[in-house]
Amino acid sequence: MDLDKAHTLLTSKTPQFNTSSNFNQAYRQKLIENLSLDSQGRPFKIMVFRGSPKSSRKSIRFVDELRQEVAAIFEKDCKQTPYRCIPKGEKRVLDAPRLRNDYYSNIMSWGMNNMLAVALGHELYLWNSEDQAVHKLLQVRGGNDWPTSVTWSEDARTLAVGYMCSNLQLWDVESSKLIRSLQGHSGRIASTAWNGHILTSGSRDKSIINHDVRAANSLASCIKRHADEVCGLKWSTEGNRLASGGNENLLYIWEASKMSSSKFLHRLSDHCAAVKALAWCPYQNNVLASGGGLSDGCIKIWNTEKGICINNIETKAQICGLEWNRHHKEILSGHGYSIRENQNKLCLWRYPSMTKVGELGNHKSRIINLCQSPDGITVISAGADETLRFWDVFGPPTAGAGNSMVSDLQGLLSFRTSLLR
Amino acid sequence: MASRTVAKDIITLRGSAAIVSEFFGYAANSILYNRGVYPEESFAKVKKYGLPMLLTQDEGVKSFITNLTAQLSENEIVGKEWLEAGKLQRVVMVIMSKATKEVLERWNFSIETDSDVVEKGVSREKSDREIMREIQAIMRQIASSITYLPCLDEPCVFDVLAYTDTDVPVPFTWIESDPKLIANPQMVKLHSFDTKIHKVDTLVSYKNDEWDEQ
Repeated sequence: MDLDKAHTLLTSKTPQFNTSSNFNQAYRQKLIENLSLDSQGRPFKIMVFRGSPKSSRKSIRFVDELRQEVAAIFEKDCKQTPYRCIPKGEKRVLDAPRLRNDYYSNIMSWGMNNMLAVALGHELYLWNSEDQAVHKLLQVRGGNDWPTSVTWSEDARTLAVGYMCSNLQLWDVESSKLIRSLQGHSGRIASTAWNGHILTSGSRDKSIINHDVRAANSLASCIKRHADEVCGLKWSTEGNRLASGGNENLLYIWEASKMSSSKFLHRLSDHCAAVKALAWCPYQNNVLASGGGLSDGCIKIWNTEKGICINNIETKAQICGLEWNRHHKEILSGHGYSIRENQNKLCLWRYPSMTKVGELGNHKSRIINLCQSPDGITVISAGADETLRFWDVFGPPTAGAGNSMVSDLQGLLSFRTSLLR
Repeated sequence: MASRTVAKDIITLRGSAAIVSEFFGYAANSILYNRGVYPEESFAKVKKYGLPMLLTQDEGVKSFITNLTAQLSENEIVGKEWLEAGKLQRVVMVIMSKATKEVLERWNFSIETDSDVVEKGVSREKSDREIMREIQAIMRQIASSITYLPCLDEPCVFDVLAYTDTDVPVPFTWIESDPKLIANPQMVKLHSFDTKIHKVDTLVSYKNDEWDEQ
């Protein structure tokens, strides 16, 4: 570098340019005042380049940001020790003719006995996942009534069936016999959930009823808090808390011991649409995931101890079901209508970061229900396209990795699980 | 350099416009490289102007600059491109803080066009090598500017502004803008080059470094 020259350049004044006579004096004055650079004396307009119309302009990154990205990719590669592979297609597709295209129903349940109970129209079928045998359990006579909610008891001895006409039945599946009918509701039973010998039902009549199925007079408590149909009901794994979601977009958390007084633990109004999808986290006590309907599309993770929302994901699609993965820290959401993304798809999210792991789904129309297998490997999605699709999305099970849920399960079952071939 | 009779080449308006827009492309790349707006690894060396010039390999930036220079020298939409019509007054490359959008540096390339050539379509004569040497000098200066320009030690983004005559319609890949000025800048004038049709002056203005004694 020529220091003398540099010195001259740095200290010399910038030359004056020719000024044109048609240039407004005041404007020129203003320019000279405002601009730190000399103008050529000509009026000008300034424009900034936005890039080619053909290709989109990528964001400009700085050294460190680029290096951070590279470091993040490297870190991700290092952490991904078990190879996480999401199946591209279904393991199995079952025909489900006359499956009702009704968002609010919960017509599918997979029991610990490896039997899938599914209501198709006026009939209820049992599908044995071990030998794929199909058995029709019941058929409703007359056109105005059909099953709207199906749930296996925890020991899979009893099947609870809720109906359009507000009837609630308990069936013994081994003998294919109706054990008893429970009364109490005045509207269709959209949701049911078992907690030991307590069967909880939620109805279009806006009430939640707890039945003690052992007692002659089964009605233990009736809670009238919701302002609309109770379409989501789930008991926590320990059985101490109940989550109920309503069509008025509210989510209530109840303490089992305090339910008879209709005193809720929390009233959560964050959702902007019906709360049907509910799922309690298997690895963290008192953490609940809830999913909103069409105008909402959000998966919200709650700390039900404090009643606060700890995470929120906008999926931009109607959520009809949520299932936690017991083998990996993930949660799966099933979707119905959407204006933009995720329509008719199943989306897998890593927990707790809630980053999207992937999506799957070949449903031709919206998904209505989700349920998972007793061994926690397979998820079934029931779609309005009258199919039940089986996805082996939750596996492979981590080899004994301190996951107490899996070992408990294996202790419970006397027969081998997951013979879905 | 001692002047000696060199064979002169014919420079046409179109040729001159091509030289200027090409210059701008290389200068932009050089600034991005030298000022560290992009990582060094993302640049590749090519030989140009008798110097090893660095060109970005980042697809996004590459296409951005290519489209920009094409705009200056060949605008199918407008019909007559800015340089040829003598309507381009300056091209300014603005470097801003990504976080605050504050303008940190402004590389100003002012263009003076010989109106005779534009109106009458005459051509000029100048040695190509001479022009190349002039450009080379500017490129060297850009490279050595890092010795006095303050460090850009935060993530930066850049923008390119064009100062044109007011009668130029704004193409849809551009939008009207403010000048993005620096308050109380330091300025350094670099060399200029002249094709005898277009004369390009280079000036860099930068935000006062707090460490400077004033």
